[in-house]
Amino acid sequence: MSEDGLTYEAASARIEEIIRRLDSGEAGLRETLELVAEGRRLIEFCAGELEAVGKGLQELRLDELLARLAASGATGELAAGSASPSCRCG
Amino acid sequence: MGHPEHGASVGIPGSRLPGPFPVGEYAAALRRRLRGFAHVQLSGELSGVRPARARVYFELRDARGAVPCSAWREDWERIQGRCGQPLLDGMEVIVAGGCDYYVGSASASPSFGFHVWNARPAGEGDLLARIERLRRALLAEGLGERQARLRRPVLPRTIGVVTGEAGKARDDVLAALRRRGWAGRLVWAFAPVQDRHAAPAIARALADLVAVGEVEVVVIARGGGSLVDLLAFCEESLCRTVALLPIPVIASVGHHSDRTVLDDVAAVSCSTPTHAAEAAVPLHCDEARSGLGEKARRLRLRSLQTVALRAGTLARQARAPIEHLERERRRLEQSSRELRATARRRGGDERERLARRALVLDRKARAGADDVSRRRALDALALALDAHDPERTLARGYALVQGPDGDLVTSAAAASDHERLDLRFHDGRIPVRRP
Repeated sequence: MSEDGLTYEAASARIEEIIRRLDSGEAGLRETLELVAEGRRLIEFCAGELEAVGKGLQELRLDELLARLAASGATGELAAGSASPSCRCG
Repeated sequence: MGHPEHGASVGIPGSRLPGPFPVGEYAAALRRRLRGFAHVQLSGELSGVRPARARVYFELRDARGAVPCSAWREDWERIQGRCGQPLLDGMEVIVAGGCDYYVGSASASPSFGFHVWNARPAGEGDLLARIERLRRALLAEGLGERQARLRRPVLPRTIGVVTGEAGKARDDVLAALRRRGWAGRLVWAFAPVQDRHAAPAIARALADLVAVGEVEVVVIARGGGSLVDLLAFCEESLCRTVALLPIPVIASVGHHSDRTVLDDVAAVSCSTPTHAAEAAVPLHCDEARSGLGEKARRLRLRSLQTVALRAGTLARQARAPIEHLERERRRLEQSSRELRATARRRGGDERERLARRALVLDRKARAGADDVSRRRALDALALALDAHDPERTLARGYALVQGPDGDLVTSAAAASDHERLDLRFHDGRIPVRRP
């Protein structure tokens, strides 16, 4: 999910909607250009989401993660990506 | 218990309670009273089974309480022999017995206990009845719907998995995620999944996964087992924890025939860890990647097609004025030709009509000329007549002589025949008498 609340499923559904609209041939030139621009942004978002789960499996152990978080005295390090993985699988 | 013995200790000043009684006497009375309680059967989970020299001690527990129990070792061994299996910690059992009280002594501590003389493992029917009661209670509270209402992402970046560290479920989850083409972040929360410590350990793991943040969905996975093995997932506190968790939980702890209470409160219930992993990532990532490329291609294609179509329309519209003018010019020429032809036809008709009218006019003109000459002749005749008009003669000074009967008297001889005559001038008449 993006910061503005956009989800993969919502973006994907909107892309389908845009393509259907363009396929209908009812969109004028201005609308077409706007829809294409919006579709490209959404495709980039979806591609980013897919890339995030395609770089390689990252396995963490909850007990080790909690120990690291406790040692650092902070939470949310997982979100910041600072927690080192226990192992990384292809 | 009777009255205090004569000469016994004096009680607390001011207290109206009976006594004081010797404690041994009171303990014996208490034992008699407890042993008088009705003998009953109890059901619960065995906990802390501890064989001693003469007796076996244990506790019988459920979610709402516990009772200390004990049995003679001989009885316990006989019971186990009859059951064909040892009665161990964590087992659901039914025991028969009654309350008892060991009064102790000056050197031995007293104790209360439920004296067991018979027992058997609880059958599946007993367990199912208990599970059903809990299930109904939780569902009545609406706890079966809370997880189902949570949004489940089709493409989570981080998944938490609660499972046994050495279990096959771990491999199944990994294999299923790999087949999905998913390679995100996986947080393993290893916990026992079948003994009596399982439920609280799993509940703690769930709470920790939520506390870590970023975990978007949790899978609780274990392989199949007997219903007794799955009792941890029918434990009330664990089920309540799952129901109230703010992230969706996918349960795959049971098997096809037995449904745990956890299955009813989780967002999704799956029969195997493989299915649970697939439910955690509904999207097939490899297909989505290729599909996204196809969507981008279609988007680009539609964009180009639309622009080309629009350009064609504009080109046609640009050519249109020339074609329009040419059409109009041709139409105008045709109209002009038709107009000329019409004019020619109408000209002929008009000339004919004018000729007819000229002829009529000519005739009328000629007729008019005849009238003029006639008029002139009449005028001449009128002049001639005027010249002979006696009135005009009278105007010149002549007078007419008329007799009494109005006849003109034109001679003196004729005048002698009349005594009275009239002289008529142009402006009047005068009677005269002949002398």
